[in-house]
Amino acid sequence: MTDKPDKLRNNRIYYLEALVPVLAFGSTLSGIALWEAGILSEIQYAAAGSFLASCLLAYLAWYRPRKDIVSLTTPLYGFIFLVTPIDYYQGILLQLFYAAGLTTLVIRLHFRFGAGADDRSHGRKELAATPLRTYVESTRDVLAGLEPAGGRNASMAFLYFAEGEYRKAADVSHAGACHEGTPEPLVRAFGILRQHAELLEKNLPRPVTYQKFLPADAALMAKPLPAADQPDREFDTMMDNALLLLYSAAWHASEADRPILIASQPFANKLLEA
Amino acid sequence: MKIGTIDVKVSNISIGVFVFFTLLLIIAAMMDTGIRPHLIWMIPSLFLLLVIPVALNYMSRSQYKDLEPTYEKEAKTVRVRLINESMIGKIVRIEGVVERVHFQFLNRPQYSVADRSGAISVKMFTTPPEDVKVKDIVEVYGQVIRRYMLTGEPVINCVIIRKIDRKP
Repeated sequence: MTDKPDKLRNNRIYYLEALVPVLAFGSTLSGIALWEAGILSEIQYAAAGSFLASCLLAYLAWYRPRKDIVSLTTPLYGFIFLVTPIDYYQGILLQLFYAAGLTTLVIRLHFRFGAGADDRSHGRKELAATPLRTYVESTRDVLAGLEPAGGRNASMAFLYFAEGEYRKAADVSHAGACHEGTPEPLVRAFGILRQHAELLEKNLPRPVTYQKFLPADAALMAKPLPAADQPDREFDTMMDNALLLLYSAAWHASEADRPILIASQPFANKLLEA
Repeated sequence: MKIGTIDVKVSNISIGVFVFFTLLLIIAAMMDTGIRPHLIWMIPSLFLLLVIPVALNYMSRSQYKDLEPTYEKEAKTVRVRLINESMIGKIVRIEGVVERVHFQFLNRPQYSVADRSGAISVKMFTTPPEDVKVKDIVEVYGQVIRRYMLTGEPVINCVIIRKIDRKP
């Protein structure tokens, strides 16, 4: 569904990346031609293209999930070359070296910092192809009937918990569990999350007895439960499963919250992989 | 060394630099008599190599000391594993065991602190009042930041790290 926009966006990025050396070298070569024709009086102005190329490089670096600080600072040097008077031969040499540097950086950016742009910045509407997406898809049928209000509660409970706002997460979980029409496994997930949030809020340890999912909910669990003789791990896994089930419910039932759920993917992935 | 209520520590690297240039100056003064008239400004400069790091350490330590009550009041105790990108900017408190210590010689210690749920990097931009070592059980107060300011995984910018007796 998102393949075509992704391809178009990637093509746009490739063209922009190719434009960096074209602008940088092209501007210097044009500058030489204009100088020879007597049109350009100061060779420093031939660095205008390099400056634009460096701005473009910084833009490409900024819109990546991993920021490249070297590429981000190149406009500073481009600006200095543009405004500083310099002799003809030194100017040409400096600009060509700078153009070569920008070309190297754009190649480095492409291969070391990925070709894709920042998911959040480009308003993607799908989860990345990770085990999380597989899990969310696997729960679609069970959670498809959930009302948007239930989805909203699930979304808020997950997000408050991720932000460390445990009091609010507990309150929203309570509201979610009491909401009429919420499927039973989801009621249990809200209950488990509420208990964990209240314990975390008060910095209390694991109680001897705690809320659990039922064996019948096994198909909805993202993570398998550990052996019965590991209560600490079981307690943590219950919380992870509750959070991931709520994330999935929020994804299916509260479409308006999808951008923020996408932004919270790293936390959900962390829970799934822990 | 204590200045007022602040315990100031000079990093090993600052002492090393001071010793290196002192030896260099002594050898140069012995071998070349032309240098001796310049000792009048070279010797005070040499001492500045110690005085400046001490002054910087005093300033950063006193600023951290001023921040301590605010952090103790506002911090929320969290489990290490639950620290994530959504918590960037939050003031948190964790308890755990020190697994690794790096860059202590630069007076910029970086600890790896682990609790039952996971481990996290704890960065400090000055020396802590206590000498924290591997296997010490500590409580940490700090702000969740990204490792490289704009990017990287969440780490804790530590304001207080102190040893505690109980288990995390």
